[in-house]
Amino acid sequence: MSLTQADVDLAGPPRRSAALLWSSRSSRQRILIGAALTFLLLSVVREKTGAYDLTSSGTVTATLHLALPILFAGLSGLWAERVGIVNIGIEGMMILGTWGGGFGAWKYGPWVGLLFAMIGGMIGGMIHALATVRFNVDHVISGFSINLLAAGAVRYLSAVYFVGKKGAHGGVGSVSLSPPQRGTIPEITLRFITDRANASCLSKPSGLFWVECRRWFVVSDAAGIVRGFLSQMSLATILGLGLVPITAWIMWRTRFGLRLRSSGEAPSAAESLGVKVLRLRYIAMAVSGAMAGLGGGYLAIVTNTQYKEGMTANRGYIGLATMIFGNWRPTGLLGGAALFSYSDALRLRNNKSIPALLLFVGLILLLFTVSAIMRQRWVTAYFTGGAALLFFVLYATVHRLSDDLTSAAPYIITLIVLASASQRLRPPAFSGRPYRPGDSH
Amino acid sequence: MRYSKRLRVASLAVVLGLAAAACGSSAKTTSTTATTKGGTATTAATAGSAAGATTAGSTAGGTSSGGTTFGGKLPDCFGNPTGTVTKGSKAGIAYDTGGRGDGTFNDSAARGADAAKTGLGVTIDELEAKTGDDRNPNLTTLSGNGDNPIIAVGFLFETDLLKIAAANPKTMYGIVDDVPPGANANIFSLVFAANEGSFLVGAAAALKSKSGHIGFIGGQDIDLIHNFEAGYDAGAKAVNSKIIIESKYLGAAGDNAAWTSPDKAKEIATGWYTSGADVIYSAAGGSGNGTIDAAVAAGDGKWAIGVDSDQYLTATPAQQKHILTSMVKHVDVATYDTIRAVGQGATKGAVCTFSLANDGVGYATSGGYVDDIKAKLDGYKADIISGKIVVPAK
Repeated sequence: MSLTQADVDLAGPPRRSAALLWSSRSSRQRILIGAALTFLLLSVVREKTGAYDLTSSGTVTATLHLALPILFAGLSGLWAERVGIVNIGIEGMMILGTWGGGFGAWKYGPWVGLLFAMIGGMIGGMIHALATVRFNVDHVISGFSINLLAAGAVRYLSAVYFVGKKGAHGGVGSVSLSPPQRGTIPEITLRFITDRANASCLSKPSGLFWVECRRWFVVSDAAGIVRGFLSQMSLATILGLGLVPITAWIMWRTRFGLRLRSSGEAPSAAESLGVKVLRLRYIAMAVSGAMAGLGGGYLAIVTNTQYKEGMTANRGYIGLATMIFGNWRPTGLLGGAALFSYSDALRLRNNKSIPALLLFVGLILLLFTVSAIMRQRWVTAYFTGGAALLFFVLYATVHRLSDDLTSAAPYIITLIVLASASQRLRPPAFSGRPYRPGDSH
Repeated sequence: MRYSKRLRVASLAVVLGLAAAACGSSAKTTSTTATTKGGTATTAATAGSAAGATTAGSTAGGTSSGGTTFGGKLPDCFGNPTGTVTKGSKAGIAYDTGGRGDGTFNDSAARGADAAKTGLGVTIDELEAKTGDDRNPNLTTLSGNGDNPIIAVGFLFETDLLKIAAANPKTMYGIVDDVPPGANANIFSLVFAANEGSFLVGAAAALKSKSGHIGFIGGQDIDLIHNFEAGYDAGAKAVNSKIIIESKYLGAAGDNAAWTSPDKAKEIATGWYTSGADVIYSAAGGSGNGTIDAAVAAGDGKWAIGVDSDQYLTATPAQQKHILTSMVKHVDVATYDTIRAVGQGATKGAVCTFSLANDGVGYATSGGYVDDIKAKLDGYKADIISGKIVVPAK
């Protein structure tokens, strides 16, 4: 909580309004306050609707499993876009990652599998870099080509390497399936605190799980969420979550990151100051590809035990979308991936909690509206207010949603909330444009 | 100005991507494989030819391969031909995308073809569609080659088959999992009573469930899969009318990702196992593997039921301990029987339903986990065959 002199100067004479108090917080404090408010709202909605899955540890664990691939895809997009390259090819790089992951995990074990997944994605990333940086191919066209190429390549590779091959512990590969992996990546379950990972409230729960099963307002909700993080936590999940702050730190706190971002904003200016724009683009694309590949590897190795053709299921696009609506920022894409996966997890685990989710999202949007009114952003207020109203009406009128509607719910909710949260999207200024070094000299 | 144009392009791309993701209308040609099978693809793979036969432990009689017995009584729809198959006569198989080695539907047809080759001495000509555009030329080639019968593997062949069958009235055709519209004098529709097989595994689930709480995971929310669910529900309720049956579909009609999302099936199954369910049947193609993995993670006493082929045969030992049984759909038998019937002189196209009565569907016994209830299951089977029990279709 540090109000610098510059902030005070910019804000003019101090006004004791809530809006000022909010805008004067540092972004870290805003995130913390936002998270606390979100949690409180969630508890209230859970208490009121009785939809226990809203804060159950199972939902949290499922959310994590579903979020990680999207998160990796989003990070992949972030690395590419920040250096000035539009990466529609994330899906393809993820596909290469699933194959590499399946192959490595089958032959040498899960960690090598993740490494192979990274390499697979990186190959895709380098092809994209070569096409867009060296040959100035339109970024979207190159990206789509990679998606098509990857889908075909993995089928060919599977036909060559997987058909009829046996896994170390049994199981057979085929043209669309790798032999099962050698082992799994260790999962951490703090059993003494959280009870067994697959414990049920019906059978004498203990520890944190006992608290969760009590259904106490706020306390049980907190217990559920904490337990979700402490049980069945794969080391790969921790690695993936860690990549978000690491990416943020590299991009916004290091010299390398500044140069990287400047290449995406104004490459000519950066180059005139001695930044090696092209080299940075290759490096960033290698990282971008590796991230996408990790996302694929996570799918093949952590949430499944083998590569299965088509298992990426368009998550590359979803990751890219969360990154864009997350305003090209790590926190934004983390929020988007979390929201999407949370909705998806609720839908998968229990349809009946979807109305409660609608109420929750309506309340969040209402908060946005209040904040917009305080800042006198009227257009924003109208938009978010209208969206909030829509969700309340849905909650009040719809009691049982059809399966078709609930399967669309994650998309709709994420789109509306992220669009409301980031009213002014600001992509890196030079993203997607061809750049030839020396053009502007 | 430039800025807003780029933003427009970016948002267009995102909207397209989202639309693709939401509708599952993926641009990849490979994903049509799953559609072809309409949810009957299995995760398990008996790659190549008749692998798996060694572990099958099949009974004597006829030719056997992959745990299947060939050469039983021909279904009546073939008109009970009385001739004998000429050695060296030619039969054609038009696989859909995926072809031999896809570990699923096409492979099952391939097993039937292989059995016909060894058991009947016919020559098999095979063509695989690399893309949807190959279907018509492949059927044309096989027709011109004098193959008879020609079997199209998958309902996506319907339109092309109708044209080509009309142009070659002397050749007999078969199409798997589809009943083309109109009267087709030279087409055998090879369809499966998945509801009957599902009834038996539903009964097995209810008999084995200790909690009285079971589940069903479907792939796409379409009639083909409703057929599985209806049979499963009926079978479970026949055993225990108060049983709780959870049900969930992975995607809407047309969402091809529904067949390839083992991670999502795993989350659903994990949720149900935790809340007390102990047997879960998935008719969701490759996604079903997630259910098996969830059962493994959930521990002893939690079961998964496989679909389409005997998934026990291709699972890892850890998974095998949790595969109660599988609902088996014998595309191989349908293929073999069509070749045999036409070879024996069948000349009148008809709809052939492969059901419990002609062993076109059934349940797997590998692992021996249903041995103790086999008598009861076979009792239900006899009742269905005799018509005492009518299994709902949806």
